[in-house]
Amino acid sequence: MKYDVVVVGSGPAGSITARFAAQNGAKVLVIERRAEVGVPVLCGEGISRKIDEWKMLEGTRWIAGKMDGARIYSPDKTCVTLAAEQAGNETGYVVYRDIFDQELAQGAIKAGAEFMMNTQAIDLLKEGDKIKGVKAKHFNEELEIKCDIVVAADGVDSKVAQWAGINTKLPPKDLETCCQYTLTDIDVKDAYCEFYLGKEIAPGGYVWIFPKGKRIANVGIGILASLSESGMAKKLLDNFIENDPRLSKGKTLRFLAGAVPVANPAEETIGDNIVLVGDAARHVDPITGGGLTHCLEGGKIAGETIAKAIKKKDFSKEFLSTYEKGWKEAFGQKIKRNYLVKELLLDMDDKTFNKLAHALEQVKFDEISTHGLVKEVAKHLPISTKLNALIKHRKDIKELKKK
Amino acid sequence: MVKPKAKVDIEKCLACCGCISVCPQNAISWTGGKALVDQEKCISCAICIRTCPIGAISGEGL
Repeated sequence: MKYDVVVVGSGPAGSITARFAAQNGAKVLVIERRAEVGVPVLCGEGISRKIDEWKMLEGTRWIAGKMDGARIYSPDKTCVTLAAEQAGNETGYVVYRDIFDQELAQGAIKAGAEFMMNTQAIDLLKEGDKIKGVKAKHFNEELEIKCDIVVAADGVDSKVAQWAGINTKLPPKDLETCCQYTLTDIDVKDAYCEFYLGKEIAPGGYVWIFPKGKRIANVGIGILASLSESGMAKKLLDNFIENDPRLSKGKTLRFLAGAVPVANPAEETIGDNIVLVGDAARHVDPITGGGLTHCLEGGKIAGETIAKAIKKKDFSKEFLSTYEKGWKEAFGQKIKRNYLVKELLLDMDDKTFNKLAHALEQVKFDEISTHGLVKEVAKHLPISTKLNALIKHRKDIKELKKK
Repeated sequence: MVKPKAKVDIEKCLACCGCISVCPQNAISWTGGKALVDQEKCISCAICIRTCPIGAISGEGL
């Protein structure tokens, strides 16, 4: 078997990379170890409405609900509201990630990419140090799939990157460990995403309620792995649900667990004959843990760059650096900045969070985004917190400013 | 004394990738859609045990 490109993983980053590579002339194969694209879902299923501008998805089957805004609750339950009507712009969607992923896969197939399910990558094919393809297992059959470029779209625990000698190991302080119920028969009526903060509620993370319709929602938790104990995420989430009268009588339709990188972007996202995309490249907002928009934006750049490399028959790291430059320009600085904000938030105690929420309670936000929120938070932070942060992170801040 | 090693309860494991992502020894891999700890490589650091959101990994005394 010989292709120009083999993409390992059929998540959003993999499918979009495949689509834009195939659309621009490359012969692409996507392999997926699971039996069905998008299943099981490993996601809170919230996405910014930025996605509308990109026109990557057809129809509306993937949308569970359009959101009217967000509420953020501090540890003492002070509520900061970000409403779409106030700001005059739109917020986001809660999606069906299984359908979402399958729509993206169909887009790739329409563009000419091939998909092969039940096919797990087990190693890279190499000649000396040179990557020549992927070794995979399709049921009991071992396959050698030759190609010029391998795309590591195999998620937070990317083995492909590891085999290529790229270190993507995460320290526990850069990983959120998560679980989530989809609950029905609950008393959640309006289309607001809710976030609950606090060291007792979710250390180093938050609890979320993302409505998927009337009386149904994703209720989940993410906590920082460095602050976690065995089974802690589930225990805290169960505790939260039990103590919320809107949720406590809910019935479970789905329970899942997941892991989200909240790190700086990977130092290396390219090498000779290899490209990293999506969670494997750590293209996730370290404050929210949201990764879909970056994965799609980055995947498109990756696909286009790869197609050009195939045409020029130049698969070198140097040629592929167009992709690295591209994603750095698009959102690299944002991830780095938000990583610094994440570190700063981790140093804040519940009292400071409460104070902040009191100050922000009446603010009318003109921008509904993490950036808009961070700007307001920065204005209202106590001077002592700001000073401590400046001293502690002075090196990183200097570096960010340089760029 | 030989330290106990981490073990995944495959009945409980929901294949979330958390443990695989943080294992400093790359000792955990996918086998049949579940996480499996290579007992030879495991250094009993217990990071995977603490990371597991649903408590599916154990190791006596770790």
